[in-house]
Amino acid sequence: MIRRAVLVLLGLVWLGPTYLLVVNAARPAADYDPARAWAPSGEFALFRNFARALEGARLADSLASTALYGVVSPLLAVVIGALAGYAIVVLRLRHGFRWFLLIFGGTVVPSQMLLVPLFVGYSDAGLYDSRFGMVLVYTGISVPLAAFVLRNFYTGVAFSIFEAARMDGASTFRIFWRIYLPLSLSALAAVFILEFTFVWNDLIFGLALTRTETVRPVMTALAGLMTDVYAGTPVPVGLAAGLVVSLPTVVLFLATQRLFARGLSLGSV
Amino acid sequence: MSAVLSDRSDRAAGRRAGSARRPLLGRFAHGYVAPAALLVAGLLYAPFLWTAYLSLTRYDGLESPEWVGLRNFARLLGDPALLTSVRNTLIWVAGTMLLPVGVGLLVAVLSYDIRGGAWFRLPFMLPYALSGAGLAVVWSPILSHDGIANRLLGVDTAFLQVAPHNTLAMLLVWTWQQVGVNTLLFVVGLQSIPKEPVEAARIDGASGWRLFRHVIWPLMAPLTAVVVGLALVASLKTFDIVWVMTQGGPGRNSETLAVTMYRDTFVASEYGYGSAVAVLLTVVTGLASYLYLRRQVR
Repeated sequence: MIRRAVLVLLGLVWLGPTYLLVVNAARPAADYDPARAWAPSGEFALFRNFARALEGARLADSLASTALYGVVSPLLAVVIGALAGYAIVVLRLRHGFRWFLLIFGGTVVPSQMLLVPLFVGYSDAGLYDSRFGMVLVYTGISVPLAAFVLRNFYTGVAFSIFEAARMDGASTFRIFWRIYLPLSLSALAAVFILEFTFVWNDLIFGLALTRTETVRPVMTALAGLMTDVYAGTPVPVGLAAGLVVSLPTVVLFLATQRLFARGLSLGSV
Repeated sequence: MSAVLSDRSDRAAGRRAGSARRPLLGRFAHGYVAPAALLVAGLLYAPFLWTAYLSLTRYDGLESPEWVGLRNFARLLGDPALLTSVRNTLIWVAGTMLLPVGVGLLVAVLSYDIRGGAWFRLPFMLPYALSGAGLAVVWSPILSHDGIANRLLGVDTAFLQVAPHNTLAMLLVWTWQQVGVNTLLFVVGLQSIPKEPVEAARIDGASGWRLFRHVIWPLMAPLTAVVVGLALVASLKTFDIVWVMTQGGPGRNSETLAVTMYRDTFVASEYGYGSAVAVLLTVVTGLASYLYLRRQVR
């Protein structure tokens, strides 16, 4: 009983800011008053507020670009990572373990060590402030984790599957594409969810490598909107923008908590 | 760690199939690792090495880098902004162990084996899906000077202006967000510990705190190591929340190492000096991970 009471009490404290977010994001922009922020306004202006944010900060373009980065980069990364895992474990690549360490070692590199060369290199190569450049960098960062998880997954798959398919005359790529890739769907999904969330929530690469609203990822754009909150964007408009752009990850996370946790503890080893 | 990273299974698979076919497959196999290896080499390792080189130069991004040896690092030692930044980063690390990890453990232990536990945990899970920018959007109106907290409580507190209060305030915001994921990891761990030792201890009369301290806690040690390790590395690299809430200010007094690196590089356009901060951050993170892992393995 005491356990439940403590949980409910703590839970209420935690719900406070969430409540403030929802209530004030739905409040008509002109009615906002910090002293009465607890009281619901009785009106529902969430979509009007969000529309205003879309217009003011050109968030629609940012959202479209971020959706592109969030889907394409993790998809590419899981397939590329799976290919590497397949080569190392199933095709028994010569010095496979060293290749694995080379690829997995990429997770150790902090993003701060990448920013200057990427910024300068991208500027020279014409990739600065381009969608292709962003897809490329997000893919590169996502590959090591994908390779790690998929290599471990394929280690647990019976080698006789490969031998049988070989006997039937299938090529190594066909075996990968038709047997091993579908077999590892759950692992691929776990990595995809984790990496989608990482890309969707990224701030720093957006800050360093983009400038225009059309290329800028949505969290970087939202951060820009925040400095405008002081400069006159009404609080409800900022909150509505924050709420709506967070929905994809909130829904995804709540729907796949367990998968998410497994991916997280896998990636940390 | 050693079990997961061992190449024993690869070798075993190789032996089983005989080495006669290895050359044929091995040759083709390079094409399959090439995309991953090229991406990692080009986008992670090459920039890493380049930054390490740049930390030994003076560089503004326009003229070619000019070699200055260790002068950037000597300058770091006497930079008051760096001292503040190191202090704040340490507050972040210590605070993260205490609050997000500690409260996460508490919520997990209280809720993992009661009926409807997932519903009790839901309030903690919602904030985790917010990004650093989303977090700042929610909390800036609460903590700003004429914000909700001050007006509701009828006080006049400078939550985000005075150091080190601003770092502590952001730490509380961080706690609000991070408890969820730590709870989730701890719950998964608690639910997967073997039932028999716990039952045996119950039969022997252990319960409550004693049961937790002497039976459950040792059983969940491997998972605790993972959660603490994740939190350690993440807190050393704290950037998003600080950048969006205070931009490291006012007057650089809430900067962390990662924020200092960004400001020196992209605001002050001192690419060489910023790279030196990045190298310092990398060394500190690497050292902390190494010492931590060594303690865990032993």
